[in-house]
Amino acid sequence: MPSIDLSKAAELTHVVFRCGRSTQWVTATVKTAKSENLQQITVSSFAVGLAQIEGAVYREWEDLDRLLVQLWTSRSIRPRVRYKRGKGEDDRDLASKLLPELTKRGVVDMVECD
Amino acid sequence: MACSLPPEILDLIVDHLRDKPSALKKCCILSKSWVPRTRRYLFARIRFHYARRSIESWKLAFPDPSTTLAHHARTLSFREQNPSALADPGVGCWIRALHRVEYLRVNTLGRSHGVSFVQFHGFSPTLRSLTLTHTSIPLQEIFNLICSFPLLEDLGLITVSPKRDADGWCIPSTSPKLTGYLKVNGGLRSVVRRLCDLPSGLHFSKIRVSHDNEEPTSATDLVSRCSDTLKSLIVSHYASGGFIPASVIS
Repeated sequence: MPSIDLSKAAELTHVVFRCGRSTQWVTATVKTAKSENLQQITVSSFAVGLAQIEGAVYREWEDLDRLLVQLWTSRSIRPRVRYKRGKGEDDRDLASKLLPELTKRGVVDMVECD
Repeated sequence: MACSLPPEILDLIVDHLRDKPSALKKCCILSKSWVPRTRRYLFARIRFHYARRSIESWKLAFPDPSTTLAHHARTLSFREQNPSALADPGVGCWIRALHRVEYLRVNTLGRSHGVSFVQFHGFSPTLRSLTLTHTSIPLQEIFNLICSFPLLEDLGLITVSPKRDADGWCIPSTSPKLTGYLKVNGGLRSVVRRLCDLPSGLHFSKIRVSHDNEEPTSATDLVSRCSDTLKSLIVSHYASGGFIPASVIS
């Protein structure tokens, strides 16, 4: 899935990605961001039932998790995730399933969207 | 009692009620001295929904454009199923009275037949924000309108499915600096191509775009063009495992 090149946006402070289940393009785009002013990355997923994802899509979230951890530790860029809660889904389960490393470190803000 | 209050206090009361039209209307009938104060806010936002009918009502209420309350208007909004109403020869006459409008929103509900914005060109030299929604008129027409407002900062092109320009694309000779917020949903490639042609360049500080698999280069172009000014970026992707409902985008 094609990504956007953010390498030239030197003044960028906030980026929001609105996606479905797949986050491959988000990871690829975030990797291009070189702005030293970047403070927050928000991933806003409108897909329902994220807790049930598996296979290739799950690996995409794993990759994103790793990248966001790296950005947090090296550049203190705070990650934020907005999601749609499915029936019977618990915030903590969802966070630990999608972004296990970030959740373990307690650095991700999970926000439920309407 | 109203007359015994100092004018500063009256102003303060009315200022406090600026976002409450029903309260302002009550203030209006309370005392004659309150009327000019309340009108400033009551006529600050003018909406012509079902434009043909409401334009007629406006003209009936204010037959002389030079003596209307239009100078209070800061936000002007049109929503019309039959957008040819906006091209009526009579429109140009009274639209000029709205010369202090800063925010213009036009929704043609997907219709394009007979639409012309020529009479709107530069009608308000102070216009800062322009949003066009559900329109499929040629991009040349849209960009001619954009370029007629020298102080324009924010631009929204929502659910725009531009028609191919029948007579080719003619780059405007001047353009606004566009330093604020850009929101594009639909037709990203065509819109970006035209935006990049604008002689004053692009200086948006906030961009919100929706793109599909074929449009990442357009989004990249846009980001590159605004590289010195862009602080905030919101990107939606149509095909990343789901469809984005219009309500979410807007």
